[in-house]
Amino acid sequence: MSEFRTVGKSEIKIDVKAKVTGRAVYAADINLPGTLHAKIVRCYEHAHAKVKSLDLSAAAKMPGVVKVFAPGDLTTKFYNQSVIDIMVSKDMRGMLGDIEDQKILTDHVKHYGDGIAAIVATSEEAAERASERIKVEYEPLPVYLNAAESSQEGAVQFTPQKPGNMAFELPEPAFPNNTLGWGDADEGFKEADIIVEDNFYTSKQKQAQMEPNSYIALYDDDGLLSCWTSTQMPKSVQPKIAKLFNLPMSRVRIIQTVVGGGFGARLGMVLEPHICALAMALPGRPIKVQSPREEDWLTSPSRHPGDYWMKMGFKKDGTPVACDAKFVNYKGGYYLDGSGVAFTTGGWVSGLYKFGALRYKGESYFTNQPVCGAYRGYGNPQTNFVLEQLVDRACHELNIDPVEWRKKWHKDVGDDGWCAGVPYASCALDEVLDEGAKAIDWKAKRERYAKQTGVKRRGVGVAVMVHTSGAMPMLLEHTVCSVRLNEDATAVVAFACSDMGQGSHTTLRQIAAETLGFPLEDVSLSVGDSNDAGYDIGAHASRTLYVGGGAVMAACKDALKQLLERAAMLLEANPDDLEIEDKQIFVKGSPDRKVAAAEICSGGVYPFLNPQTGAPESIPGQILGYSSFNPMHNSPPFGACFVELEVDTETGEIKLIEMVNGHDIGRAINPAVVEGQLEGGAQQGLGMALTEELYFDTDGKVLNNSFTDYKMLGPSDMPKITNIIIENPDPHGPFGAKSVGEAGLVAPVGATANAIYNAIGIQITELPITPEKILKALNEKRAN
Amino acid sequence: MKKHSISLEVNGTAHQLTIQPNKTLLDILRDELNMPETKYGCGTGECGACTVLVDDRKVINSCLTLAATMDGKSITTAAGLQTADGTLHPIQEAFVENAAVQCGYCTPGMVLKSVGLLKNNPNPSEDEIREWLEGNICRCTGYEKIVTAVQLAGKKMAQAGS
Repeated sequence: MSEFRTVGKSEIKIDVKAKVTGRAVYAADINLPGTLHAKIVRCYEHAHAKVKSLDLSAAAKMPGVVKVFAPGDLTTKFYNQSVIDIMVSKDMRGMLGDIEDQKILTDHVKHYGDGIAAIVATSEEAAERASERIKVEYEPLPVYLNAAESSQEGAVQFTPQKPGNMAFELPEPAFPNNTLGWGDADEGFKEADIIVEDNFYTSKQKQAQMEPNSYIALYDDDGLLSCWTSTQMPKSVQPKIAKLFNLPMSRVRIIQTVVGGGFGARLGMVLEPHICALAMALPGRPIKVQSPREEDWLTSPSRHPGDYWMKMGFKKDGTPVACDAKFVNYKGGYYLDGSGVAFTTGGWVSGLYKFGALRYKGESYFTNQPVCGAYRGYGNPQTNFVLEQLVDRACHELNIDPVEWRKKWHKDVGDDGWCAGVPYASCALDEVLDEGAKAIDWKAKRERYAKQTGVKRRGVGVAVMVHTSGAMPMLLEHTVCSVRLNEDATAVVAFACSDMGQGSHTTLRQIAAETLGFPLEDVSLSVGDSNDAGYDIGAHASRTLYVGGGAVMAACKDALKQLLERAAMLLEANPDDLEIEDKQIFVKGSPDRKVAAAEICSGGVYPFLNPQTGAPESIPGQILGYSSFNPMHNSPPFGACFVELEVDTETGEIKLIEMVNGHDIGRAINPAVVEGQLEGGAQQGLGMALTEELYFDTDGKVLNNSFTDYKMLGPSDMPKITNIIIENPDPHGPFGAKSVGEAGLVAPVGATANAIYNAIGIQITELPITPEKILKALNEKRAN
Repeated sequence: MKKHSISLEVNGTAHQLTIQPNKTLLDILRDELNMPETKYGCGTGECGACTVLVDDRKVINSCLTLAATMDGKSITTAAGLQTADGTLHPIQEAFVENAAVQCGYCTPGMVLKSVGLLKNNPNPSEDEIREWLEGNICRCTGYEKIVTAVQLAGKKMAQAGS
């Protein structure tokens, strides 16, 4: 029997009934009286141009139009839509070189779909029709679609703050020679018996969450700016909006609606600056914007694509003597997250294997493409594609089993994690690999698939990964939680942690109930309004269960302590000698000496005085538990993925057969939620490997911003899935839990590539691995 | 623009509507009838978030359907699957119990699409379920738990019906 009441159970999710009936309220579902509708007018003629002239006069005269806006009609202050700049200290920010380089509307179009004007009208249709009357003349500029082009001499500068269009490189003061790593890689390679090295390209993948972006803002008569948004980070958007519009935070209220998926696309802001600016220009009227689906690929951040070079040296026995790597990413038109992924991509290399020496360089260059920012995995899937393929190439040359090599050389408890100085406190990767290999029948299949000659060839591949639970010590990880006990001994837990659908509100509620010793139904949550709860950085870096859970636990312990102290006074006992069961507080070993939790809570809320004596009848004061929590660690989860697939050597088509996704996540607070994260992550990881990429023509026009053309794996494309969840409690996580949110996406990328390698003996170095690339590679192999 | 008059039954309630001919069924449900449970996902019939059930049998994308062509039809939305006393439809119940819901934005459409399947094929195989759901995109679940939910609901409904 479980030692817990609710932790470890697949409790039904909090909001699921409202979701199956469609009653959950997303931003687009909110209709405030008197709402006006906004349209952001975008440049679809050029990916790089100056606006020479903009004539809004005809649009302004169209029926239903309330007001039209050119760039100068709204604030022209620069901002940064993401949040890394507020997650680090001022010194760190200076060192990283994070900048604000975005404007609400622009006269320098830096990517296809950049916003150049805005219209507010009485209906969406009126705004749309008016937008067709806008007259604009452009001066086209050269279009740069990769780092090599934008960094060439004489290229148009994206911002004077970043000469040469280099948005970021690892800063010298923290990273000598602009590199991350350890030891002397050049010396290391001298000891190598074999070297594997290659150039890779990793693709511009899009989160494509199902809810298109929709926002409402109202600047009311009291001077309060309210914004309804599906951001992943309400408490980070609040100070960002306050800063942009010179308002105190007390005049900015962010109301988080039900979030229809995020995966990083809503990390920070998307159109919040736009809708808030329009609301402030038209005080008293709620303004709503519904961003069309096709705009989502252009306006919210994608995964960072880029050129990834890596070289590794090994001794004959498999000892990895050195690794040298460089990731040059294509930043898109603006800076946001310019420092983040360029760093973490190397962090994930450093966290995985015991290389004798490591040297990683990470650089970001502006390009005329829609922005890149956070996407589930944050550099890790890119690294997985490259690192794991080269490991398999070396294993093949050295005739070492890829599972055995990984078991021998992965980092373990006590080794430094992705951030030097924070050693792993738990790791069950060996067990994950063993269980996974058993589940997919690894040895037998590798043997069988080595001898294929037919048209259709099977392959099985493995990849491993390590991720993180929150981003301390690099970034701020802070969550505030308060727990109020009602007079009937039920609890209201308030926090600003986001649930984007992953189920974090449900799991945090389980942690609260478990800690308090209350039944689950006696715990309710107060979430969603930036004014109702204390600080929380927001959902990023797989931190909500881990950091939010830590905060909830600490606040509940505080409330419980107060409850037990009052009980101890009544029972004339030591608080340490008390325990709580079915909301009755007992003296351990003397079940008759008890008091109901409700009696204490009620006495706190209703501290009546005895009418005869005037003495208090109870201990006064409503119990309020509080925490302002910063975690001590980042407890990385480990994972191993096994993929089996079939390659048609005549058509290049790939059929996914089976996937085993194994993870060491410390503890599954809610196993169904964990499985959901792994399965959903797999759909995105397999899609990144095989089909997902935003394509451009030579003018920088996006070619596939629709669900028909941006191909994601559908229900029939998915393989049979087996999840393996290893519970090896971590000493730092709440109830031993580590994160799972991003982890499931990562290793399927490398495992798919390695399965293809196993099937046809070729490594495809460009994502996504399409049938065209397979056929081309097969033809080249035959020709040689 | 000349307006059209249509009669439309939605979740058992009859409506007489005067509509612009360019309005889709999705527009009418969301904006005229204030029934936001049917979702806008793409507006081009690619994602299935706007799926509704027509005449208790056929599933369509309401974003691609001009409301003027729906005269005399009966429409069921996700909210309409629930009985007046709050009892969920067996498919909704199966989605709840099998954790087949994450962000929930595709869910109303996914539930209705599944209802459409079981109305036409009460005992579908796993492959048939997967193929049937191809027009409905979910970005959260990897489809695994949705497929399981539909399978279990089918079995339950067949048992209840026999």
